[in-house]
Amino acid sequence: LFTRDAGLLQGTVELLVLKTLSWGPMHGYGIASWIEQVTDDVLRVEEGSLYPALYRMARKGWIRGEWGITENKRRAKFYHLTAEGRRQFAEQTTGWERLATAVSQAVAATRPPEWAR
Amino acid sequence: MTSDDRGRRRWSNIFRRSPGGEVDEELAFHIDERVREFVAAGMSPEEARAAALERLGNFDGVRNECTSLLTAERRADERRRRVYLSWLDVKLGIRMLVKYPGLTLVGGIAIAFAIWVGASGYEILNQLVRPTLPLEEGDRVVGIRLVRGVSGSDAERAFYEFLLERDGLRSVEDIGGFRTLERNLLVDGDRAEPVAVAEITASGFRLTRIAPLLGRVIDSSDEAVGAPPVLVIGHDEWQDRFGGSPDVVGRTVRLGREQATIIGVMPEGFAFPVVHGFWSPLRLGELAHPAASSATTNATGLGLFGRLAPGYSFDEARAEVAAIAGRISAESPLGGAGLAAELLPYPRMINNVTGWGATILLVAVNLFLVMLVVLACGNVALLMFARAVTRENEIAVRSALGASRTRITVQLFVEALLLAGIAAAAGLMASRFALRQTLQMMTADGGPLPFWFEATLSGETLVYAVILIVLAAAIAGILPALKVTGRDVGQRLRRVSGGGGPHQLRGIWTAIIVAQVAVTVAFPAIAFFAYRYVGQITQMEVGFPSHEFLAARLELDPAPPFGGSTETTPIGRREEMDATAEELKRRLSAETGVRGVTFASHLPRTLHERVLIEADGVAPPEGSIGIRVGRASVDLDFLNVMDAPILAGRGFGSADVGAEVVPLIVNRAFVDQVLSGRNPIGMRVRRLSMRHESEPVIERSEWHEIVGLVENLGMLLGGMNPTDGAGFYQPATPGDLPAVRMAVHVGGSPAAFAPRLRAVASAVDPALRLEEVVPLDEAGSHLWLEMQFFSRLLMLASAIALLLSLAAIYSVTAFAVARRTREIGIRAALGANPRRILGAIFLRPLIQVGLGVAVGSVLVGLTGAGFLSGSISAQQIGLTALYGMIMLAVCALACVVPTRRALRVAPTEAMRADV
Repeated sequence: LFTRDAGLLQGTVELLVLKTLSWGPMHGYGIASWIEQVTDDVLRVEEGSLYPALYRMARKGWIRGEWGITENKRRAKFYHLTAEGRRQFAEQTTGWERLATAVSQAVAATRPPEWAR
Repeated sequence: MTSDDRGRRRWSNIFRRSPGGEVDEELAFHIDERVREFVAAGMSPEEARAAALERLGNFDGVRNECTSLLTAERRADERRRRVYLSWLDVKLGIRMLVKYPGLTLVGGIAIAFAIWVGASGYEILNQLVRPTLPLEEGDRVVGIRLVRGVSGSDAERAFYEFLLERDGLRSVEDIGGFRTLERNLLVDGDRAEPVAVAEITASGFRLTRIAPLLGRVIDSSDEAVGAPPVLVIGHDEWQDRFGGSPDVVGRTVRLGREQATIIGVMPEGFAFPVVHGFWSPLRLGELAHPAASSATTNATGLGLFGRLAPGYSFDEARAEVAAIAGRISAESPLGGAGLAAELLPYPRMINNVTGWGATILLVAVNLFLVMLVVLACGNVALLMFARAVTRENEIAVRSALGASRTRITVQLFVEALLLAGIAAAAGLMASRFALRQTLQMMTADGGPLPFWFEATLSGETLVYAVILIVLAAAIAGILPALKVTGRDVGQRLRRVSGGGGPHQLRGIWTAIIVAQVAVTVAFPAIAFFAYRYVGQITQMEVGFPSHEFLAARLELDPAPPFGGSTETTPIGRREEMDATAEELKRRLSAETGVRGVTFASHLPRTLHERVLIEADGVAPPEGSIGIRVGRASVDLDFLNVMDAPILAGRGFGSADVGAEVVPLIVNRAFVDQVLSGRNPIGMRVRRLSMRHESEPVIERSEWHEIVGLVENLGMLLGGMNPTDGAGFYQPATPGDLPAVRMAVHVGGSPAAFAPRLRAVASAVDPALRLEEVVPLDEAGSHLWLEMQFFSRLLMLASAIALLLSLAAIYSVTAFAVARRTREIGIRAALGANPRRILGAIFLRPLIQVGLGVAVGSVLVGLTGAGFLSGSISAQQIGLTALYGMIMLAVCALACVVPTRRALRVAPTEAMRADV
């Protein structure tokens, strides 16, 4: 799903989209840009996968798209979180934090295991 | 999601594009933004576009995947919206109902009426054809009918033998029998009142599995011949006659000629075996004795009952019962020869509405009622259609914006469903009331209804009502919606923008409107005839002050069968009745205010017996062997007490009873109709009777002689013309009369004297039972009560028909005006005479109403001829025509509102009008 330091878990893109939309409604281009910007360009969204992911999330009822006008007076489809989307966001965030902590602990470990001594 | 969200979404749905177009626009926006970003970073526009496309990857693949995902989502969304009626539909429906109160009111009344009639009819038919016993395992209670070639006491002996064998039956338990006796009940030596008593075996109480409220029920010891008489009373009787006293058990009352001890009180609602409130033991041992037969004891025939034993089916029981009956038939020493028995569900033994006839009745009547619902809702549909046509512009625009035909149909359906639901609630409430009324009518007519008839709507009927509601909503909502949305959008849009051809309302609706107007015209007129018939009977001139008379029928309770009395033989009963009636007359005459007491077989203004006679020198009508006239056997002073003037000849004297040549006194109608005005005195008359053997045989009585002529005294002979029939009076003593009817001239209010009459009768003989104690004016009320009910029903039906007709006419006119606003405007602008415009609008409804009035008038004419059993006078034709004109005017009023609307239209507006 992501280029550059890829190898991220499936579903991470959904969590990142949910996180982006938790700030407020945004169009697909804005979502991709914000993720890149906030991760200092470390995570670059593969745009060919972003849009199908958005439509799948819309089908699951997590987000809803509505046409609106951008600051540049262009028509664009803005996505926003539904109630179900907000619930999903809270759930996935907790899960991610547990996973990240676990992975960090493992990676940051200083004591070698028994077999390595 | 809030309702605002839903609303926004609905509108965005109307404007949305195809999935492919939407995805294209979204992706185009994305690429444009990237290009802008890359250009800002220093790329040339061409490089920037190439980079942006490369960044997106496989454009066509992304586009296709997104398009199919969006298409699938929209389909799912559409399915959801199709299935669930949104709250917006309901709100819109309520708004429309409030906005058009006229339609809501008329449509509501029509649907309420339809559902009222439909549900009541269904419930009554169901109770009649498929009764359920409100007893524990009531469907296992059975009746046993004995079928025999002979009747009377032989049949009862057969019952006796069958009951003797009951212990041998394995498949049926608690077998027993009952019969109903009419007896005088005397509590505390007060005045006696006639009551119906069930003589029943102890097993009857076991079978119902209902315990007494107080005391005990009848047990087998009470059934023994010679056991002391006991009585079990019902809850209502306990409350009414004993004030609900807890120490009623053990009290003694007089029942007929016996003193019976009350042993128990049954709980409220208990009325087994049919509709009883008093129970005394049926002594099987007495059944075999002629002195105890129903004929002698004045009882209804015996009925047998039982309960299917656990583990046995109905068919097994039926076979076993038939086998036992067969054995009795073969071995019977008493009267069982030729006996056959039939097992059937208990209610069917009491009122047997079964088989094909019942099924046809059930289907036919329900079909008729459903047709009525369809017709009433069809009218509502017409109203909704007329309104929808005026909103057609809006509907066409909504269609163009993407609102599907289904959406619009669902919205109109929801509106109709709301209307039908509210109306049905009112209808069902009325239905309970109607049910009670109808059951009461049935009760007043043919005796009390069995206990399993209940004036409540069953769950099944409520489900049926819900089906009717949906049917009503479908007709009133979906039909107009389909008709209005039936053409393709483009065609309608063209018409919206440029005006166009009208919807057509022809054929079937013309027929329906004509039929409704005909009914509206005919029913009140027929009801009027019925009312007049009632009035003719109640105000019939009988030549004496009938409102000062109290009427009653006398019965003597029989003696207990084994009391050793000779009273039960016919001669004994006749003399006893003579003596009792004489004593009653003597005591009543001594009462203050009583001016006279007399007896007769039939009282004035009631239906009399009809007999066939031949008279000296009078030819019978063509095709008949004799002349049909009325007859009453009367006490010697009958004509005196009635103050009936003797117009010729003489009255009856004491020598006339038992005279060799029976003297007759004829009424004036006899002279007019039979003798064509000739002098009747001295003329001879004799009775003819037909006996059917291998061929009909005519039997002739001795000659009787006409000795007097009396004024008409209200001798009703049936038919729809309640005037005095030709007839005669013959002398008799009370003991001779098959039914002894008494008339007491009390001067003042007859109803007020009734309690005193009962008290005096009780004092003369506690076994003297007074039935039908009513003012003489009401003695024949069964003749007109039904007619009154019938005419009220007709009036209600015609009021509804009038309402529906007016609604339909209004719809048609409003529709015509709505379709022709443009034309009217142009014609008005061009200076056309308003009268001609009116004529053009009025023509169609006028033809429909005119046809309806004509058909209705013919119906009135035919019915009138039937009621008056004669030709129709010019006056009646004139009245009918006048009535038709009034109806025409009333119906024309329905055209006024839409027409005024048309005439108020400003020409400039009309030119712009698109409908």
